[in-house]
Amino acid sequence: MSFQVNQSSCDMPLSQSAIETAKIPYRSFCARAAAGFALAMSISFIGADKSYAAEHVIEMTAKDIADDGFGNKLLAYQMLSHRIDGLDVTDRYSNAPTIPGPIIELTEGDKVKLTLLNTIDPAYPVSGTSKQVSVHVHGVHYKILSDGTLRVINRKLDEGAGEGPEDTFASYEYEWDVAPGTAGTWPYHDHNYENHNGSEHKGLFGAIIVNPAATPRPQNAYKFSKEYVLYLGDDAFWGVEIDSTTKKQTKHGVNPTLNAPKNTDVRFHLIALGTDLHNFSLNNYKWFDPGTHNLINQVAIGPLEKHVFVIRSKNSTQYVDNNFSNKLLGMKGRFIVD
Amino acid sequence: MKEQIIKFNKHIAAMAVVMLFAVAFLSSSMAMAAVHSFNFTAKTLPNGQLGYATGGADAEAVIPGPALFVKQGDTIQITLTNNTAADVGFSVPGLVNSNSAKATPGQTQNYTLHANKTGTYVYHGDNNGKELLGLFGAIIVDKKNGPIDSFVNGDGSIVPVTQADLDKQFVLFMVGSTFWGTEISADGVQKPLWAAPDLGAVENDLVRFHVLAIGPGHTFHLHAHRWLKTDTTTIIDTKLLNDGTDTHSFTIKAGSGVGPGDWQFHCHLIAHMEAGMHGSFRVDPVGGDGHSVVGASPYGNILLGTRPSEPGLVTLEVSDEPASWFRSPRGDAIVGLPFDIKTKSLEVMYPGSSVNFIMSDTNGVHTISSLLWPSGAHHMPFNQSAAYRGGGIVKLTTPGLYVFTCKVHPYMFGAVIVDDPETEGLDLGNPAMDYKIDLVTGIAGLPTSSDLAVRLLRTFFVATSPSNWQDYSTGIWNLRFPTLPVRISGAPFGNIEDGGLALALSALNVIDAPLAVGAAPEKPGVGEVWVNTQFEKTAGKYKPGTTTVVDTTNWTVKRKVALPEINNNNPHNMWTNRDQSVIYQTQWFDTKLSMINRETGALIKNITVGNTPSHVVTLPSNDDLTIAINGENGVAIIPAGTTTVSKMLPTQAHGHTSANPHGHWVSADGTKIVTPNINTNDIGIYGATGGIHARTPTGNNAPGAHPIAIGMMPDSSKIYAANLLHHSLSVVDGASGALLKTINLIADYNPIDGSFADNDGNGAIAVGVLPIQSPVSPDGKAVVIAATGGQIVIVDTKTDKIVKMLPCDPGCHGANFGAKEGGGYYAYVTTKFGNRLTVVDIDPDNNGDISDAHIAGYVSLVDTASTAKDDTVSSLPGFGGQGVLAVPNVYNGWVQNLPDVWKSGLTAAQRNPIGH
Repeated sequence: MSFQVNQSSCDMPLSQSAIETAKIPYRSFCARAAAGFALAMSISFIGADKSYAAEHVIEMTAKDIADDGFGNKLLAYQMLSHRIDGLDVTDRYSNAPTIPGPIIELTEGDKVKLTLLNTIDPAYPVSGTSKQVSVHVHGVHYKILSDGTLRVINRKLDEGAGEGPEDTFASYEYEWDVAPGTAGTWPYHDHNYENHNGSEHKGLFGAIIVNPAATPRPQNAYKFSKEYVLYLGDDAFWGVEIDSTTKKQTKHGVNPTLNAPKNTDVRFHLIALGTDLHNFSLNNYKWFDPGTHNLINQVAIGPLEKHVFVIRSKNSTQYVDNNFSNKLLGMKGRFIVD
Repeated sequence: MKEQIIKFNKHIAAMAVVMLFAVAFLSSSMAMAAVHSFNFTAKTLPNGQLGYATGGADAEAVIPGPALFVKQGDTIQITLTNNTAADVGFSVPGLVNSNSAKATPGQTQNYTLHANKTGTYVYHGDNNGKELLGLFGAIIVDKKNGPIDSFVNGDGSIVPVTQADLDKQFVLFMVGSTFWGTEISADGVQKPLWAAPDLGAVENDLVRFHVLAIGPGHTFHLHAHRWLKTDTTTIIDTKLLNDGTDTHSFTIKAGSGVGPGDWQFHCHLIAHMEAGMHGSFRVDPVGGDGHSVVGASPYGNILLGTRPSEPGLVTLEVSDEPASWFRSPRGDAIVGLPFDIKTKSLEVMYPGSSVNFIMSDTNGVHTISSLLWPSGAHHMPFNQSAAYRGGGIVKLTTPGLYVFTCKVHPYMFGAVIVDDPETEGLDLGNPAMDYKIDLVTGIAGLPTSSDLAVRLLRTFFVATSPSNWQDYSTGIWNLRFPTLPVRISGAPFGNIEDGGLALALSALNVIDAPLAVGAAPEKPGVGEVWVNTQFEKTAGKYKPGTTTVVDTTNWTVKRKVALPEINNNNPHNMWTNRDQSVIYQTQWFDTKLSMINRETGALIKNITVGNTPSHVVTLPSNDDLTIAINGENGVAIIPAGTTTVSKMLPTQAHGHTSANPHGHWVSADGTKIVTPNINTNDIGIYGATGGIHARTPTGNNAPGAHPIAIGMMPDSSKIYAANLLHHSLSVVDGASGALLKTINLIADYNPIDGSFADNDGNGAIAVGVLPIQSPVSPDGKAVVIAATGGQIVIVDTKTDKIVKMLPCDPGCHGANFGAKEGGGYYAYVTTKFGNRLTVVDIDPDNNGDISDAHIAGYVSLVDTASTAKDDTVSSLPGFGGQGVLAVPNVYNGWVQNLPDVWKSGLTAAQRNPIGH
């Protein structure tokens, strides 16, 4: 309960003071309060059986990343720090900006405080009126000030880090309530860069995986040998492989070759993004359509939908998008079972 | 407002009676199914859109159509009276329907549907795309008894809901890139929310959404709310609505777990978001009224609207039809007004209303991009980062003229005048800023009195009005502009004071000017010239376009190839195979490449290659076809000897903005593909087997230079790219891709007063406004640029300077070289809004000095009694000249591959143009 009070006390004055203090990282007070709160939480629960909700304190940034050789750059999120009840788990992430961005594993009942920085090169060409980045997350609960949108949408504030059309912040803190009923895989993405639609299609996207609270922890984390997050873009898959034991996230990038130990359960998290509609298949495999007992071998998926399925790794194959043009562009990757 | 509300109370009452009966009969286990009868009338709304009304002749048609709520097992009887000018049906995919016939105008048809499955169904008018203009609605079939849905509570519990639990319902149709809404109160009263509404509710209201789509697909996302995917236990917050018709109903508890706020809902396709496909779901704190905000109405504040107090909506249908590319659905009525408005692509509305676009009559992908707008206007520029299928919507509050185009097909024009009702005359610019306009190319504050503004306006009225085109077969030319007075900037044009009322545009009229084709060239060419007369209409197909084959030995039209059997759609550009027996032809508003037997004109194969293919060129090394996929992000390859695309070479690195290549060229050795990238404003040099060698920006960093066509030196040493909107020619090193020079094609033009002078000091007064194709002659002497502003500009490749300007017809577009009998080359130049071919001799005395280039003659592209045809020309004869191809293909690299039978007609120099 104290968390809720804390949050609302942070929220209340913000929209009032934002205009006068536009150049100041306005959530520093809240951030300090949250850190103290987290510290208190972690101290008080040391040594306890962690079968209850955890608090995640996360710091991320957005950067421009290596160009295509001709000066055109993409944007990406980078994990700076992730503490779970004070325990530093930052080493599970890449120490560089990646596409997709960090995959954040949570459990129903958890709370998240995510501070976003903006370290995009000021010279990065912006075609719109906003140089502010944000994190707009799907699936979990949050109040309107954590929507990660511009004021023109939320009628409150430009909710991001950097220079927005109406409000400017050096950093911005989002609070997520990973409430019961939010289990599943959800995308997060920018909603503010360049204009009110954001620049998710330029690389500013990642995902959260919310495990159901009902599953005893930590066992559920070892249910799968590997997890793969595959974003279906307009010309390629952008993927990441997660080792379920070490939680290490690797193989970021385009059409990655995924590896799985033979005869183990692996979980695919598909999310689409961009303008195309897709038709995904993992050749020679079938899986349960989520939430049903229907076996399927392909799935139609559109931007920001998610589709999560589990298979038992048997044989090496390819994953592929059967969209006419994307298939011709070579939008596929290898799934190696060994 | 009262007449807007459709009362379904009577219907609800009837249902209650039925329910009583149902309860009464339950004990006897008799299935009691209700029969619902509705009188539907299809009507035309004030803005030209179509819609269904229920309840009598005077009832108002609404978009979406009335929502029909029934129970499983019920029967729905529809009596449809058609009061529109189009055939209208009543189709319900997913439900058994007794009748598939359509009601012709004035006729009535009856349809009986059996609601035997629960679910949400689209009903629609089934009239070949016209249903997207508003003839669509929802049928919701719920279980007879018990809960009809479940919602995800803030505590994670899944809670069943009955009809009686609901506080309100919304029907949201996703059509094009516009949301159309209806709100249904707890007691069943339906209120139209029209286009792009904001929805409202009070925290903890139980709200059921019925999201439906017709046409190209979408994903629906609502911020901060979760719901169940139908018939599963999966919780989602985004749902695909696939191409065609698709539906998704779900229930939420407003603000559950997240509280009050302005929560956005939107389509999550990037291009659709950019096209305006979003709204707000405002959750008021408890105690608030939770009202929705009505969007833009077809009855509202537009020219001839019936309810000026409400925000209005004008609509432009995106079409493959020549001149009517952005056609108002009330275009015929506008043309019929007594103001001599010859275009169907001009709309007039008042500040605060919106313009809606719907790609309802096209097989291609497009963008909806603002070309010019009143200085200081809100929501401008309007643009999308990729071409797509859908539509768009934008609210316009600043008075003045807005011109929209498609970046992929940049002569598609639609215009909206937002007129300040307080001023006399139609406002062409922003009254608050001296009626000035801004252009997408970065020109800001251009006076609407300037020569450039007037030229742009004239271009619009010519391009979109076939009656203003130059039809040489009639012998006279009339160019008529509207007789309405306009309000433009001050001097210099017409010596008007600031913000003055100008003469009507009709002051620019040309009346009964004589128009003669002109003489054919004295000297014959070699072989044939194939011209894509892309706008010519024939009787046997709906889509426009033929290919006109000119015999260069006698300059007559030998053949017309219409290909009615495939509904050949806007044939745009061509190439030929090694032995010149097959013509490859792209369909630019479609997804196909056609292979045609050159000798007979018969279709060999029609092949799907990708969205909006523009140009095709073979690799001279191995005869593979390279096809620029202008609506997408690559060059498709069809290996020689096959008829399917094997791969697409990407024109940009993964994840980067789609290049959308248009008129590419291939190096003479077949190792490089060079594309003008219209969406990224650069020239791309690619390996013929893949790999990006260079990306060279054009247009000196001006926004939207729009490189559109490539020419290459026969030894591949230099690349020339015409920048359509930058009015320039980029010269690029063929090996490194380095930019060598940018030749300004409008240096000699004063855009304010329209005067011409040799401002660039090159010794020639020459201007090329809106340059398009820019091939280099096979011998490498000259670049010939077809400029759509009506000029042919010739550049000497030795100096990379302009040496000559020659006249061309309006919409000058295509250029390509063919062999001249006895040596040398003709440049064949096509025009869209004229119907003759211009033949340019680049070096009449063949002395290597091209400064004496001249027009050798003209050829009418209208068919004659002796023309072989596969279909009958029905209108726009010989118009729409774009791609042009001379056979034999005499470019260096290809000419050497010709069989002897073709080589024998060429001189030694022509057979080996640079090695000779």
